[in-house]
Amino acid sequence: MTALRQTGFILLIAVGLAGVTAAVHPKRPSFLGPPRDPNEVTLAQTKQWAGNILWVDARSESEFAAEHVPDAFCLNFDNWTERFPKFLDRYNPGQRVVVYCTATSCQLSREIAAKLKASGVDDAYFLEGGWEAWKQQNRP
Amino acid sequence: MEATEPPMSTLTQSIASRPIFRTARFLLRLAIAALFLFAAITKLVDPSSFVQQIANYQLTPWPATALLSVFLPALELCVGVCLLLGRWESGALAWVAILLTIFSGALLSAIVRGLSIDCGCFGRSIENTGTLWPLIRNLALLVVTGFLWFSRSTKSRPAK
Repeated sequence: MTALRQTGFILLIAVGLAGVTAAVHPKRPSFLGPPRDPNEVTLAQTKQWAGNILWVDARSESEFAAEHVPDAFCLNFDNWTERFPKFLDRYNPGQRVVVYCTATSCQLSREIAAKLKASGVDDAYFLEGGWEAWKQQNRP
Repeated sequence: MEATEPPMSTLTQSIASRPIFRTARFLLRLAIAALFLFAAITKLVDPSSFVQQIANYQLTPWPATALLSVFLPALELCVGVCLLLGRWESGALAWVAILLTIFSGALLSAIVRGLSIDCGCFGRSIENTGTLWPLIRNLALLVVTGFLWFSRSTKSRPAK
């Protein structure tokens, strides 16, 4: 059997197996649309929490220095070791922590929120649309 | 991918027939098989989690992303089984090379775009590997795959 024919047979079997997975796997993904991350919040949701939010800016320190959400705290993977103890000083248990980064395409806010949760900050979320969304809604 | 390679030279045949060469080749084939089987099983355990890892690359629209999350582990499983059993070896090695090239391209594009994401190579079983080391590993695996492809015995080569 030629190599090309073998690749074809392997492909056919894989397609069949994928079809079975898509049909019966209890943890199969939704094919209609991406599932919403339970830790993702919209700006509208954060407005309902006004007064009880600690904003965390996951962008670089230079971007943070240029502009940021008022009273936001700069915390990212690069400065985590140095800044996380200071974050804990600012954080009040029961407060909601909303992490943002540049835009929707940015994954840092999701990852920092996950790391905060893993570090014991239970109410850690990340902002849909990030800094761009916040700036658009709060433009003077 | 047709069997159009020229016949092995006497020297190549002499090296390829040595027991140490055949043992090394066998172990490398098993290592690739084990790697692909492990990658497939860790992803097949939870496709809904793996789909998020593919989505993080931001390369495909949604229905395609969801399809890939069930198709890629299935293909990896088939390839791993073929290499483990030594059946359809040429076809399996071709798929290994294709998959590693696609994965490396995706990793490279994530690095170029500055995406801070996890490779997702082994589902959620091994995380925080970043993208650079998996890319280097994939390139090394491509070299191994090339060796396995060009050192196939006449018996395992597809018939003309």
